[in-house]
Amino acid sequence: MVAPSAAPQKAGAGASGGKGWGRGMNFGSVTGTSLTDKARRAASNTARFSQKLLWSTGKAAWIAGTTFLILVVPLIIEMDREQQMVDMESQQAGLLGAPPLPGSPPAVK
Amino acid sequence: MGAVFAKSDSPSPDRSPSPDWLNLPCPVKYDEIQRENIMSLKPELFEGLRFDFTKPLNQRFSLSHSLFMGSVEVPSQGAQIIKVPAAHYEFGANLIDQRMMMLIGRILTDGRMSARIKYDFTDRFSVKVNAQLTNEPHFSQGMFHFDYRGKDYQTQLQLGNNAFYGFNYIQSVTPTVALGGEVFWLGHQRKSGIGFAGRYNTDKVVATGQFASTGIVSLTYVQRVSDKVSLASDFLYNWNSKEATTSVGYDYLLRQCRLRGRLDTNGCIAAYLEERLNLGVNFLLSAEIDHWKKDYKFGFGMTVGE
Repeated sequence: MVAPSAAPQKAGAGASGGKGWGRGMNFGSVTGTSLTDKARRAASNTARFSQKLLWSTGKAAWIAGTTFLILVVPLIIEMDREQQMVDMESQQAGLLGAPPLPGSPPAVK
Repeated sequence: MGAVFAKSDSPSPDRSPSPDWLNLPCPVKYDEIQRENIMSLKPELFEGLRFDFTKPLNQRFSLSHSLFMGSVEVPSQGAQIIKVPAAHYEFGANLIDQRMMMLIGRILTDGRMSARIKYDFTDRFSVKVNAQLTNEPHFSQGMFHFDYRGKDYQTQLQLGNNAFYGFNYIQSVTPTVALGGEVFWLGHQRKSGIGFAGRYNTDKVVATGQFASTGIVSLTYVQRVSDKVSLASDFLYNWNSKEATTSVGYDYLLRQCRLRGRLDTNGCIAAYLEERLNLGVNFLLSAEIDHWKKDYKFGFGMTVGE
């Protein structure tokens, strides 16, 4: 008894007249209060949570990325340069020092 | 004592585990015990442009010119960072005699002036004077250091303006460990303090611990991974504010460059690159990022001469 009387009141408040429309909506909302509302709440919660998650991952990625750029990238570049220089030097030593090296042991002996 | 007797009893001290207790090495000065750590973890970071030029006039005398353009942080009580654009030129004159004397003078366009004198009377006794003159009142300071280097100890007496008196002593206890202590008295602020420090030093590892009655505990550790690479870390705890900070860093000394990086628990990261472009020409890059305060400092510079 209480539910039908409360439902038109609610519909009237929500749609302000428009009987057929209100009734239709009313019927849907009575059964759907629990379902659509729940779904909507769940959806908005998920949206908010995922937004937060996305934002914090973005921030973490930003911090990690800038830290990497400042601390590690120069190190990699410089070590690569050093390695290149060592390689070049050993190559040069190979070119210049190759003839004396096999020749030197007989010279010592 | 027992070890000394044991050593004198044995005629051939070939055994490496028992060191020669009467010939311990001379320790590092008390105020320099953390120098390796400071070298690796605390480079001179700057923001803006720097240009340093040193011109030697003869073997002993050189002139230095240095230019800085950038922004300087102004201390403020709020969380916000206030930066003011600043630029200055510094002129300096250095007289360095390898044997006994060092005179260094600096003058800046904003009116600051500083002078450093070091004079070795003998190879054990030396005097250092640091002076700083500014046009702001009460910021000028002068300091005298009298150093005496013993066979296995070092001691220093400090006299400064505002009635500052300090004394420290450090003694080698074993070939790798040195222990020391200091006392100081600040006459104008009616404050005194006492501090203790220890340093463990081998070829690969330097570890120090320092404690002062002002409430500061500082521990440092430097590990030399190879002759090119060393890793450093430090821990600082302030008893009064109950705040602790830890930082770790690397120090790469390559053939063409020196690169230092640091990461600390305040969310601050820093890197400092010195690249040798040519003989006597160095290119500097300095970066510092404070993630929490969103304070970003980048600088570049050149050093010519030296």
